[in-house]
Amino acid sequence: MHLLPLLLYAAAAAAYVAHFAWRDPRVGRLATALLAGGVLAHTFLIGMQTVQAGHAPLVGTSAAISAFVWLLGLSYLYIELTSDERSMGAFVAVLLVALDVIPALDPAVTPRPPVLQSPLFTVHVMSLLFAYASFALACVLGVTYALLFKEIKAKQLGFFYTRLPPLATLDLMNSRAITVGWSFLTIGVLVGGIWAWQVKGSSDPRVQAMSLADPKILVALVSWGIYSFALFARKAAGWSGRRAALLSGVAFAVVLLNFVLVGYFLTASHNF
Amino acid sequence: MRLFAVGLSHRSAPVELRETVDFARKGLEHALAELSTRGVGRELVVLSTCNRAEIYAVGDTEGTAEHVGRFFSEYHEIPHEHVREHLYVHRGADAARHLFRVAAGLDSLVVGEPQILGQVKAAYAVASDGQFTAALTNRLFHSAFTVGKRVRSETGLGEGAVSVSYAAIALAKKIFGDLKGRSVLILGAGEMAKLTGIHLQAQHVKQITIASRTLATAQTLAARLDGTAVPWERVDHALSAADIVVTATGASEPVLTRARVDETMRHRRNRPLFVIDIAVPRDVAADVGQLDQVFLYNIDDLRSIVQENLARRGAELARAEAIIDEEVAKYTAWMQSREIVPTVVALRQRFEAIRRAELARLEPKLSGLPPEARARVDEITRLIVEKLLLTPTEQLKAVSDEAMIVAYADALNRLFSLAQDKERGEVSSEEESEVS
Repeated sequence: MHLLPLLLYAAAAAAYVAHFAWRDPRVGRLATALLAGGVLAHTFLIGMQTVQAGHAPLVGTSAAISAFVWLLGLSYLYIELTSDERSMGAFVAVLLVALDVIPALDPAVTPRPPVLQSPLFTVHVMSLLFAYASFALACVLGVTYALLFKEIKAKQLGFFYTRLPPLATLDLMNSRAITVGWSFLTIGVLVGGIWAWQVKGSSDPRVQAMSLADPKILVALVSWGIYSFALFARKAAGWSGRRAALLSGVAFAVVLLNFVLVGYFLTASHNF
Repeated sequence: MRLFAVGLSHRSAPVELRETVDFARKGLEHALAELSTRGVGRELVVLSTCNRAEIYAVGDTEGTAEHVGRFFSEYHEIPHEHVREHLYVHRGADAARHLFRVAAGLDSLVVGEPQILGQVKAAYAVASDGQFTAALTNRLFHSAFTVGKRVRSETGLGEGAVSVSYAAIALAKKIFGDLKGRSVLILGAGEMAKLTGIHLQAQHVKQITIASRTLATAQTLAARLDGTAVPWERVDHALSAADIVVTATGASEPVLTRARVDETMRHRRNRPLFVIDIAVPRDVAADVGQLDQVFLYNIDDLRSIVQENLARRGAELARAEAIIDEEVAKYTAWMQSREIVPTVVALRQRFEAIRRAELARLEPKLSGLPPEARARVDEITRLIVEKLLLTPTEQLKAVSDEAMIVAYADALNRLFSLAQDKERGEVSSEEESEVS
């Protein structure tokens, strides 16, 4: 059962890539159906884990990645259905598959330690995951912007030119995704700070390690800084278009680094 | 009943002749009514564009094609010899294929152009409103619309601009999306500037500003394009407000240098700028294109895009033809099933009539039987007839060759005197015994 979402995501990714390459509307509809099936199966999986554990499966890096994949799939489906634009699917679905491999290989639900039994913890994790999903979309939009920009600039109108929406649309959607993501990142970090303050007295060694020196917290603040800069630079200095696209790519690389690598190997405070 | 397509197009006739046989001049309704009063065909559609004049007609005999052909010269009052050698005639499945190719833009002067589908739709609407169409043409034209739509959405045939102006506009749309809120600056007020301006105006851009060395010529063009003219000294200012710049001056030196554009980019806070240089010699220095957020295309770039698009359309032809094959097969299968159906029905009626007649003849002997036994006799004879007809019916419905259908229908009519039955309305007992 825990492999089903991954399999459906992989099938959806294949269909999205095929649709992107050959633009057969039937394949496009198939891709959407497969992705919707994957998200649905994933919803059941998370639901079952919630029933089994008695709480939402948000503890531990692999559970968090699973929830992130689920949120990203859901957000993308929403955008596809509201904008009627399927070309991003090829990029998003591949990202879903790459990330969902981790929870699929490591599906065990970590029991929730007493120190995490607070509604603030759920708000903290969910806001950040939603922020990351927005940043992932912004990154995909940025990458596609850069690909299309390169073709138009080089006067080599070809593969991406015929398949991607206009630069202005990509830029606008990128800006929206970053605004939404930044808002949730801010909420997530603030709530995390408040919660850490509340449990300060706990003897849990991970709570003891909550400080700015911890890599996870430090890199999270760095990514908050980068996204804040991206928003500010767009408003104040006209950093839109290619620069905004590059920035959203770099910033998401930092987020991903923090989420997966730092989350698994380096942090002392967030290894629940 | 048979379908005919008779006409001439840019492929078969010179422009002078196409102009002469323009059916749209007096209105398609007029031509249709005229055809109808002459009893040329049962179903009629007239298609008339600047590149073709065609009549789709359903008639009973081969003579229909000849009639329609004559109509071309009689209606336009020109000698038939002038028209005859330029006319083509397509029959049945070929007529359907021809219309499908026309609707998909495959037969157009510029392959894949989208206007023709709308013209086909309009021609059908006129004929349909005047009640000149019926089952065959209704189905034919709706299939043609499906072909047009499928070729558009499933192949790249209609993609890519095939004129310099459209190539520029397609690029602008790929950069800015909708052009409605965008501002355009045109440098120069010559013919090329005017043409591009007209195309941009058709995109409902927010504002068109024109600057020229002589303000008066700029003002003339501005009046034509609903724009505003600015003096040449104000170009830098206009440049920082514009999203799209068209340069078409007769200057021998570049008007826009890198330093000049770089300076305005700062004022415009890096908003993308699309520069279309259609002047020869060029108005914009080549290194302007290296500036971030500036997209520079000159006339040669646009021309090579057009060339590529034309080549790509050629490559999509095979996919479009495959779609057409599919739809022609569907249409002919339907058309033929319609043709064979009357024969099948007549055959079944004939057998049923024989069965009933035989039962009636045996009535004196059967009357002694109990009711259940009589019901059994009725049932058994019915089953025998069903069994006898099962294979022939299936075989007939499976025939797909038009000539074979005619041959089969003819053979069956003779063998079972089906046509005579229809005329006489009932079966004589003499024939009946021959058959049984």
